Amino acid sequence: MEDYFSYTAKLFDPAGTNEKPEVFKGLRVLDFTHVIFGPTASRILATYGAEVIKLELPFYGDLWRPATYWGRYWKHSNPIWHFVTQNKYFVSLDLKRQEAKELIYKMVKDADIVLENFAPGTAEAWGVGYSTLSKINPKLIFLSCSTYGQYGPMRYFPGWDLLAQAASGVLSLNGFPDTERYYKLPDYLGDFVPGNLGALVLLMALYHRNKTSTGQYLDLSQTDSMIRTLSHFTYKSVTGEALGRTGHADPSMVAASIFKARDGKFLGLACATEKQFEALCGVMGKEDLLKDKRFSDYLEALKEENAEALRTIVGDWIKTKDCDEIVRLANDKGFAAAEVATDRMICDDEWRRERGSVILFNDEMYGELAIAGPSARLSKTPSRTKWLARPLGYHNRLVLMKFLGLTEAEMADLEEKKVIGTGDDRPGLKPPLYYNLDKDPIYNYGREVKR
Amino acid sequence: MSLFKKKSKEKVYTRYSSAGANVSVWKETVEKLKTPEGRPEVLDDIMVLDASSANFSGIVAASFFAEFGADVIKIEPAGGDPCRKMTPYGRNVKGVGIPFMMEGRNKRYMTLDLENSPEDRETFGALAQKAAVVIESFPAGKMDSWGIGYRQLSEKNPGLVYIPITPYGQYTKKAKEFANLPDTDITTQTGSGLSSQIGDFDTEPEPYNWPLKAGMWMGWYVTGISAALGGMMALLHRQGTGEGQMVDIAGMDSYSSMTGFPATIGFTWDKPRPRIGVLDFILYPYGHWKCKDGLVAIAAPRDQDFRALLKILNRWDLEDDFKYTPDRIPDIIEQAMELHQEIEKETMKYTADELTVKALTYALKSARSKWRGGGIPIVMKVMTPEDTVENPQWAIRKSFKEVEDEVLGKYVITSGFVKMTESPPRIKWVSCEIGKDNEYVKTKYL
Repeated sequence: MEDYFSYTAKLFDPAGTNEKPEVFKGLRVLDFTHVIFGPTASRILATYGAEVIKLELPFYGDLWRPATYWGRYWKHSNPIWHFVTQNKYFVSLDLKRQEAKELIYKMVKDADIVLENFAPGTAEAWGVGYSTLSKINPKLIFLSCSTYGQYGPMRYFPGWDLLAQAASGVLSLNGFPDTERYYKLPDYLGDFVPGNLGALVLLMALYHRNKTSTGQYLDLSQTDSMIRTLSHFTYKSVTGEALGRTGHADPSMVAASIFKARDGKFLGLACATEKQFEALCGVMGKEDLLKDKRFSDYLEALKEENAEALRTIVGDWIKTKDCDEIVRLANDKGFAAAEVATDRMICDDEWRRERGSVILFNDEMYGELAIAGPSARLSKTPSRTKWLARPLGYHNRLVLMKFLGLTEAEMADLEEKKVIGTGDDRPGLKPPLYYNLDKDPIYNYGREVKR
Repeated sequence: MSLFKKKSKEKVYTRYSSAGANVSVWKETVEKLKTPEGRPEVLDDIMVLDASSANFSGIVAASFFAEFGADVIKIEPAGGDPCRKMTPYGRNVKGVGIPFMMEGRNKRYMTLDLENSPEDRETFGALAQKAAVVIESFPAGKMDSWGIGYRQLSEKNPGLVYIPITPYGQYTKKAKEFANLPDTDITTQTGSGLSSQIGDFDTEPEPYNWPLKAGMWMGWYVTGISAALGGMMALLHRQGTGEGQMVDIAGMDSYSSMTGFPATIGFTWDKPRPRIGVLDFILYPYGHWKCKDGLVAIAAPRDQDFRALLKILNRWDLEDDFKYTPDRIPDIIEQAMELHQEIEKETMKYTADELTVKALTYALKSARSKWRGGGIPIVMKVMTPEDTVENPQWAIRKSFKEVEDEVLGKYVITSGFVKMTESPPRIKWVSCEIGKDNEYVKTKYL
């Protein structure tokens, strides 16, 4: 039989990605969401082939557009915005205008999914809520994203990732016990985790609709999502104690902690099974630990004093070895170890480039940018990046004229009334300086352009 | 919490609130969100085999399928999945650890020793013919060498969605070379870029300036969510075409592929990002401060939000120096820390709830005002999980559920993370004794 890895290499060959089918071809998504939580849910659908129409306010656009990363733009754009908005159609409409609402109602007729993350109640108040849109299209799947949910006494509290981390208990858990040193989860995980769960529940609703032809309304809260990832509530109810912060260590697994190696590099190490612990003891030349009553049983070795004693022993051994050597030994003998990876290491990692976990994407407008690949690699219907973020209102003509059949005169009228509009002259809203929009055939859809 | 004492009218953050609201229909919809009872289950037509071993992300992925109604069968040897013993400080109920108790939801348990018994592998192969999804976490190629990998199972069951979870995936040179490396939460956190971004400045004393672990199994949960999400994509393709596929999950992708930050920042920056403690690279103020009765999280990053915060805190004198976002973001750390300390002087004068009410009152006024530059400062008490569970918001939303099991007794688990009108998730049972459903599975599927 063919070697397993040459079989899988063919199965997942990145060169074949664009020839493979897309799961969501023809699926139309109207996306009212902004910043990260909602846009992440729709981004996932977009990378699997859905037609996501991102709606923004003319002249202002998504709040995340003009944000800088530590005071820096990349080609006059927010560098991390590209990952979140890849493959989307950028349409700008002023929702408080009746003309804009009429356009939305028209688009909803053929839409499969609508997402919004306004403060709860706002979409209803603006006449684009589920009660209105589901009358136009009863098969519609409508996802409302919020920090605390659409009902309950806190529903009207505004929020961000940070507040979801604070309200769920997540923020209080990263740091050192008995100190005031503790930290939020980085990079807006309080948006990305709920965003991924948002995509997951949309898929559930789609699966249900395919079986029963019924649409539905979904209420996903960021805080609920973060709560779902914690076992601390169960710990409290079973033991009567609070688990609290645990520093570098993982109190749930044997010898699990972040350590510093001889060469100053940091690594995570852990034993998931008794067998892995045996392997670690063997590598350390400390087989006697296996006979030690304190460590002979997995549950016993996890007891606080025992775990601490063991971490000291392991930490002392790690100080005598270089990080790479430990990782190599871990793989050879069978326990878990991995170096603390920084951005640069991840971006330049040969394995990630080969796997497609980091893709050097060449965009028509922005040129080359490294962008993260998907969290899951599907062998027959893989995800793909087609284009990066676009200036505000970039697809107005394409979407409104081609998809909705508006005429040149109607477009001019809407522009005149400022119902639709393009970017202000601000970074994040406009294209990179070197790019001439007048020669762009998509931006100028329906007009003659000379390239 | 004092915030909830007054019964409040529906508040909407807009001044266009009369337009089009269809209140009675909306109320009906909200009522339907409140309970999953009597609603159909999305995945009641599929069976999932979870053969993951010593890898909790497989259990998490299987839980999502189980919550939405799939018949999920956990396959483990007679000694049980090692995940049963992974538990903080070894705390357990009758040998079952806390995380396993929490994720033991709506699942069947069958004993099969795939590692050692050829007959059990055969039984597994027969079961997999009836399965829609197989989840496993053995070293890449192991199941294949046992004759029950994707290659063999998909021949007899072309609709099979096969989800292997390993640190480095099923293909590439490194996947082969590092096939034997086990997967754990902490190595997933360190290897996928999460740990390098949590922790304090380089200038702090050791070990506080080391990279830090997130205080929950964020590596494994992110991996598990990714596996469930990839699995659902594949199930939708299967629903349309009858065709299954392999959904390859690599733990080392989890954080970096979910957020996308490491790849793009690594590309646009010359140096890796430093750790900046309680600060944030993009937004400020966006963090937590001490207050009279504990800690308070404050987000007021836009200029108008910051101005609003200064008004609430009576510190308009700071406005001149920190007027614009570039003045506040921490690219000059000393400057940012100075502002941080100035804000803390003020937050110390109030309780978290007092600050929250001040911010809410201000935000509602400014959202309705004609003057659009009013700003919305957002404040929330930093809660421990023990505070969270007492918050009436989650009681009303039924985000926690007290379950009772004959063997494990009564305890609290999280439930219903999403509310849906037609096909919501639910918890039906939590019992998880090893091999408890051997007969059920044999009768139903073999």
